[in-house]
Amino acid sequence: MQEGVQIADPARRSMLLTALYIAQEQYGYLTKDAIERVANRLRLPVADVYSMASFYSLYRTEPTGRYVLQVCEGLSCHLVGGADRLVDYLQKKLGLEVGQTTRDGLFTLETVQCLASCGTSPAMRVNDALYENMTPERIDELLETLRGYHV
Amino acid sequence: MAMVNLTINGQKVSAPPGSTVLQAAQLANIDIPTLCDHPALAPLGACRMCLVEIKGQRNLQPACTFPTTEGMDVQTESPRVVVARKFVLDLLFAERNHYCMYCEMTGDCELQALGYRYGLDHWVYPTYTKRFPVDATRLYFLMDHNRCILCRRCVRACSELVANHTLGVRQRGAESMIQADMNVPFGESTCISCGTCLQVCPTGALVDRRSAFMGRDIETEHTKSTCSHCSIGCGVEMVTRSGNVLRLEGDWDAPVNAGVLCQAGRFDPLYDERERVTKPLVRKKGELKETDWDTALQAVAKGMKGTKAQKLGVLASTYATNEALYLLRKLFSQELKVSNLGLLNKVAPVISDQGSLADIAESDIILVVGTNPVNDQPVASFFVKRAVDKGARLIVVDGKDNGLVPFAYMNLEMKEINRAVELAERAEHPMVLYGAGITKNAATALKKLGEKASFVALELGVNTRAAAALGLNNGFDASAAQALYILVGEQDLDGAPVLQKVGKDAFVVVQASFKSPLTERADVILPMAIWSERAGSLTNTEGRVQKANKAVEPKGEAKADWEILSLLAAKMGKKLGASLDDLSALAAEAIRPA
Repeated sequence: MQEGVQIADPARRSMLLTALYIAQEQYGYLTKDAIERVANRLRLPVADVYSMASFYSLYRTEPTGRYVLQVCEGLSCHLVGGADRLVDYLQKKLGLEVGQTTRDGLFTLETVQCLASCGTSPAMRVNDALYENMTPERIDELLETLRGYHV
Repeated sequence: MAMVNLTINGQKVSAPPGSTVLQAAQLANIDIPTLCDHPALAPLGACRMCLVEIKGQRNLQPACTFPTTEGMDVQTESPRVVVARKFVLDLLFAERNHYCMYCEMTGDCELQALGYRYGLDHWVYPTYTKRFPVDATRLYFLMDHNRCILCRRCVRACSELVANHTLGVRQRGAESMIQADMNVPFGESTCISCGTCLQVCPTGALVDRRSAFMGRDIETEHTKSTCSHCSIGCGVEMVTRSGNVLRLEGDWDAPVNAGVLCQAGRFDPLYDERERVTKPLVRKKGELKETDWDTALQAVAKGMKGTKAQKLGVLASTYATNEALYLLRKLFSQELKVSNLGLLNKVAPVISDQGSLADIAESDIILVVGTNPVNDQPVASFFVKRAVDKGARLIVVDGKDNGLVPFAYMNLEMKEINRAVELAERAEHPMVLYGAGITKNAATALKKLGEKASFVALELGVNTRAAAALGLNNGFDASAAQALYILVGEQDLDGAPVLQKVGKDAFVVVQASFKSPLTERADVILPMAIWSERAGSLTNTEGRVQKANKAVEPKGEAKADWEILSLLAAKMGKKLGASLDDLSALAAEAIRPA
């Protein structure tokens, strides 16, 4: 149940995006509990906080895998023959479609528009880390390494 | 005040500084079409229907949010504007299902009216084939997302007018949807079913279940009146057709509530399932028998006349009209010299002169003492929550289960009243809302705030103020009454505390609209009209005397509360004023504080 709402102070509303981001880091994604806690802490309406969380694609209201693989589909990555090929390769290799998570909960595959790394395209991101000049071989290596942490 | 001068469609217009282009146009009676805009809500600029051409501005600008400046030159129906509005409408009609023929709102829909106004005769874009859900989890009204245009009037009404903050918009772009809390069904959300969103919805997205498909606005009549629920006295409009009340709406012009209503005022009166009393009844040989008014009144007069004044008792409902309460006092207290008078429910003590409910919005600290407006006077709780949204501090001096506790800065027990008083003394505009649950000590402590604070009592019955002013709350003793006149009216009571004490042989007259344990005990039952069936006046807790009007005929042989007492007085040989207007004036005079 939501505690009281006190929307008078604009400073608290201005903290909302950061607070949601911190909550997401701690919870993995914005669970109902996380949203409620942010709302109560900032004394903002739950409906407002949920609206904000669902508006921005950077906030997740669904669980993801441990590693979120974001393959760039931007123009440069396309021109070097990267984007489509890498996405296809990852889909086959992981046995999933874009937007899905592997059954072991390790990997979620997503596409993004530009990672601002055109000079080293094709590029992809794993959580917050950038990986450049990607090829299927380098993807194999990368997945191997990541899996290695969870044996 | 220096006015801002501008030109709209070549016409010279001046508006107060800070006005939007739309407000300036409205002052000059120039019509600019709107959809998301609503006079009671803050402008948002969501729908782009009010786009206008402003000289010097590269793009068309929404009139509802664009501020006026000196020398501005505005065109409201230029070819460029008309093309843009048609485009907006084409998109709105294509986005969801606006197939008007099957919509409840057809004929009364603001979107449809604009479609006609701008000559939409076909769908320019392929209509959205996606089906959206219909949420029917609320008891009184449903939400059909297929008809929604995302104008966000409902969202703003919920947060700005009711300060309940249940509604929001999730996702964005074509995925946008109106939703409650964290995307839960409306019926499971923090929604309080006040229906304010329903009242502002411009399309058929929010639909009242009871009045759906019961007629278009042109086929109905609207009668303004005053809500007969609690002591706030909200202005309502009864929407009727062929002698039936279809629905209740908040009166936007009403001084107290300015359009908002609560569940108890808007919906509950139409869902009252108690069985009506429709004919006068007199007990003969232990059984209640139907009779005519004359016989019934004769029986009452005989019973009353045959009893000594000290053995007569009167109990009144705080829900009766000014006129009825006035006649009750005049007849029993002044003419028959009865002193055993009482009210059917507890009322708050007088602490100070009554302030105004409008003071809530101006206050910086609000004390809510011994009253739970969330349950009993919901519209007052809206005012409190609005003030809290604006930064006022709320101190609830009541149990932890008080509905306002979640919004409070502090929750104190009654014995800690001095702490609340100390804090209020330090504030600039303290407000005290108190009810019958207040203790004597707390009331005394609050007197310290004196002139500085604004005091408003929140009472259960709509006309408590009048009943108290007329001295009907005189400490009643049921066991002392050999003949008892109970004006229970529409009040929902089982009457057990009274019935236990009333003597077996006592002669009991009950003036009531509904059957109850009280009517079962009665020797005479006088059938009374309900809120929609009678005219009269009501005094709210501020002392504001407001008209209640009649929209439909009384059921069966029921009569207005004051009419019954007027007939009874005549039967007993007392002339106490004839017409309603005379009685209203006399009652208002008697209620006015000396």
